[in-house]
Amino acid sequence: MNKEDFTKFVIPALIVIIAIIAVVILGGLASGNPDGFEWAFFEFAGIHEPEGGFALFQFGEGPVADLLAGITGIGIILIAALACFWLTSRKTE
Amino acid sequence: MHVPDGVLPLWLVLTMLGISAVFLFASVKMVNRKFDDRLVPYMGVLAAVIFAAQLVNFPVPPFSSGHLVGSALLAIMLGPWAGMLIIALVLFVQALYGDGGILAYGLNFFNMGVLGCFAGWAIAILIFKWLTKVTEEKKSVLVATAISSFFTTIIAAFALGLELLSVEGFTTLALSALVGVHVIIAVGEAILATAVIAYFVKAKPSLISFLKDSDTREVSQVDKFPVSVSAGGSDE
Repeated sequence: MNKEDFTKFVIPALIVIIAIIAVVILGGLASGNPDGFEWAFFEFAGIHEPEGGFALFQFGEGPVADLLAGITGIGIILIAALACFWLTSRKTE
Repeated sequence: MHVPDGVLPLWLVLTMLGISAVFLFASVKMVNRKFDDRLVPYMGVLAAVIFAAQLVNFPVPPFSSGHLVGSALLAIMLGPWAGMLIIALVLFVQALYGDGGILAYGLNFFNMGVLGCFAGWAIAILIFKWLTKVTEEKKSVLVATAISSFFTTIIAAFALGLELLSVEGFTTLALSALVGVHVIIAVGEAILATAVIAYFVKAKPSLISFLKDSDTREVSQVDKFPVSVSAGGSDE
């Protein structure tokens, strides 16, 4: 991976992704309804939802906290994926 | 579709962890054989795109919601093995946030990663091969993406439903409801996945494994489809 690829592709893509997420979250455009699994399992079938669970990162409630969590997650996944594929791919040099 | 810890029996989540570990190991080996480091930035960005897309739920009126899974999309772009590895990373980071359990990670990875990528890739490649006989490659890949994303979402939901039948109180009626709501979610998945592929078809077609002269052809050698499937992609 060279520096040119990083500045020409990774950074602009990252800015666009974060901008879209910010507009959707801060604009309240995302749905707050339970997803398909949660609805069918906890609401339709009436099975008790377990409390809490393991969560290493917690940012609180509200759109700003959601956005902060989202941006942090995007940063973590980007670094993790770059590291993972760098380690597992064939080296050209 | 992210199952938390504490709802499914331990034997099932441990079995799925074991099965998923085998597929994860295989995907690392395949990526090492087929991908070189020039593609690393694109892999990183695709992982970030899938993570971001899974953050945002679109409404499924009147009571539910859904989000892009992206398995079929990734399988079409990078092939099933690299797609699987990206889904594995995304699910791992989500599990650290409490979205999907740590113990249930294997089960979630199997449904969305292994099943999603292989089913998405297989459906897409069959449709793509057929369509390229009657129309051009770029149109074919868009149609193949839409249809394969739609059916892959339903297949993954059905698999999840079968696993949930091991929970007392989850009946076949609930399974039908789960699959039913995912039919609507699948429409959203198909639209979003096709939009992403349409962008890459225009901006960077070499990143789509189905297209000729692709940099990410991996195991998606269209002309050698049966060989790729039976030999695990040994088509170099």
